[in-house]
Amino acid sequence: MVLSELKVGQKARIVRLNIQNKEIRRHLLDMGLTRGVEVKVKKIAPVGDPIDIELRDYELCISKSDLRQVEVEVVKS
Amino acid sequence: MKVGLVGNQNSGKTTLFNYLTGMNAKIGNWPGVTIEKKTGMIKGTKHEITDLPGIYSLSPYSIEEDISRKFVFDEKPDVIINIVDATSLERSLYLTTQLMELDCKVIIALNMADLLEKKGIEINVQKLEERLGTKVFKISALKETGIDEIVKELDNKEDLIRAKIFDSKIEDAIARVSMDLSGLHKRFVAIKLLELDTRFADKNTKELDELRGELGKNYDTDLEEIIATERYAFIEDTKKECVKEKENVVTFSDKLDKVLLNKWIAFPVFVLIMFLVYYLSVGVVGSSTVDWVADNMDAFGGWVGTSLENAGASEWVNSLVVDGIIAGVGAVLGFIPQLIILFLCISLLETTGYMSRIALLFDKLFRKLGMSGKSLIPFIVGSGCSVPGIMGTRIIENQDEREMTSILVPFIPCSAKLPIISLFAGYFFGEHSGIASASLYFFAIIVIIISAFILSRTKFKHVSSSYISELPEYKVPSIKYVAKDVFDKVIAFIKRAGSIILICSIAIWFLLSFSFKMEYGVDIENSMLASIGKTISWVFYPMLGQNNWGATVSAIQGLVAKEQVVSSMAVIAGLAEDVEEGSQIFAEGTPFAGITVASAYAFMVFNLFSAPCFGAIGAMKRELGSTKKMLKAVLFQTACAWILATIVYQIGSRIENGTFNIANILVIGVIAIVIICICISKLKKKKDGCSNCPYCDNCK
Repeated sequence: MVLSELKVGQKARIVRLNIQNKEIRRHLLDMGLTRGVEVKVKKIAPVGDPIDIELRDYELCISKSDLRQVEVEVVKS
Repeated sequence: MKVGLVGNQNSGKTTLFNYLTGMNAKIGNWPGVTIEKKTGMIKGTKHEITDLPGIYSLSPYSIEEDISRKFVFDEKPDVIINIVDATSLERSLYLTTQLMELDCKVIIALNMADLLEKKGIEINVQKLEERLGTKVFKISALKETGIDEIVKELDNKEDLIRAKIFDSKIEDAIARVSMDLSGLHKRFVAIKLLELDTRFADKNTKELDELRGELGKNYDTDLEEIIATERYAFIEDTKKECVKEKENVVTFSDKLDKVLLNKWIAFPVFVLIMFLVYYLSVGVVGSSTVDWVADNMDAFGGWVGTSLENAGASEWVNSLVVDGIIAGVGAVLGFIPQLIILFLCISLLETTGYMSRIALLFDKLFRKLGMSGKSLIPFIVGSGCSVPGIMGTRIIENQDEREMTSILVPFIPCSAKLPIISLFAGYFFGEHSGIASASLYFFAIIVIIISAFILSRTKFKHVSSSYISELPEYKVPSIKYVAKDVFDKVIAFIKRAGSIILICSIAIWFLLSFSFKMEYGVDIENSMLASIGKTISWVFYPMLGQNNWGATVSAIQGLVAKEQVVSSMAVIAGLAEDVEEGSQIFAEGTPFAGITVASAYAFMVFNLFSAPCFGAIGAMKRELGSTKKMLKAVLFQTACAWILATIVYQIGSRIENGTFNIANILVIGVIAIVIICICISKLKKKKDGCSNCPYCDNCK
């Protein structure tokens, strides 16, 4: 499953970043999107993109096209 | 002693900087307010402190990170104050782990300590100090508590030992690499070399490649990811030991976002808010105060005139003061009440945190136009003044998007164009002036959308970048800072009126009062300015329907400052003969008497879109990076302005005369349909191609 498929309120754990663009990959790593971290989809922009996720006690908005390349496993809450 | 202030975006660095130095740098509640470093002296000490732009990491991927990295290496600070948002400790400490690798003292300022209790977070400062190996202080930059302890700490020697944060294999590798290094920040450079950081690519060796390969095998990914993951692992451990948290509660921001980011209401609310901003400043405050100030200015001018006459001043001195200086400077000062409201509204948008939501709201739409949602922030800031708007484009990571935004920001009516709009709309559209000026804003938005659409498919290659941005919580704005911000901007406007506008008014008066034979008191039709204007007024013929030298020279002066257009018109009208009533600019007998509703609107359109003032042109040059690009941009803007103004006049004047017939409508209709078809076909092509794919670098 990839991060962009989650619904609002769903939680997931990051399995792998498959991001091709090196800059974006590094940026997301720096922002704390590392393997094993738990994230939660908090809000989705009214037009469906970008998506606001909560991780490491803060909120980060990321484009759908990037989240499509983040493999996750859903965590039951 | 040199001190650097480093921290995440939106962590309150600038607030702390302002308190420490007593300066008044710009603050806001959206990521990326500080775009350039600022330096000042800490009050009561001899320490020099530098406020750096907000960063999340010392990676080489953004302008801000680069500025901070250069500062650390080139300016060699003795101390770094790392300001950390205590309410989101985990993300903030990531940068801290990198700063700890530098060869300088690091002090951690846990900011927003006043909010901790409210959020149910408890931080054990002493334990945190031990874990990190740096001094930690709880402060509140906003409430100004705990800061003096940091200033005192600056002089103390560092007596703690920095934590080693990676696992032993990586620590060994770092030790091995740094042995062969010389110079500053060895540990930092060693880690960067292991990560294969692009800025240190020239130092890469075969041994390093081997070392990286060996280590990578153990972890099944590259070292860049391993190092980032281990940093966060260390932080998670540290947090477990030092922080106690209550379960998350639904915050006020979440509740507010339910409305402001709601699928159905978000856009109407946005339109309503923006409409209110301009309606309040242009509509409500606009018309009434402008008239009031203008009347008083007239009375003041009359009074000064009589006084000078009584004092025995010669005729030309009287004319210089009354018709030149008071008319010119007074014409722009009248708009101050409007500007106060406009600046206040923008300042509120910036400090509450709504700005970040706007970017989120419009990202998808702007992406279609080859820009980012973050482009909207420069546009809104630009409605106050284009210069900070253009500089604000630095928050956009992608260069194409950044350049395009900085070219289009001047299209938004800035506060200096407000006087032009108010003057023309007020006189020619009477009770409909509000609608007329609002229509210009919508006109500007449409032109920006079309220009962006065309530019992104021709000039710029339309590489869609991504959107990664923190969403800050809403904050109640600090009245003190909003007041200061508005006050500073108004003072800047008044200063401009007292300097540039004053000098220009005197120059215009001189050029109007003398002929080329240096005769004083000639009819203005024979003055130097009229002669100059008449030789080039043909340029404006297609949009004014007449050779109007007065409008021509005034429009050109917009280059100095847009409000100078109004100022120039006031001086010209004041000196014209046969003007019955004081400074009525469009009265019979002035060069502006021939302007009709259609040409007035066309003239507003021209001034709105044409080359911005020199200040904004300079800012554009800085952001575009070269004079050539800047000249192209200015040419593009002026060409747009000329064509649009001409179209407006040609259609408008025909409606005015009643000669606008079905044939005209048909021609325009056909052209519009063709343009729309071309646009749609281009869009369709895009949809079938790459737009649904995740990134690959192939499209580049």
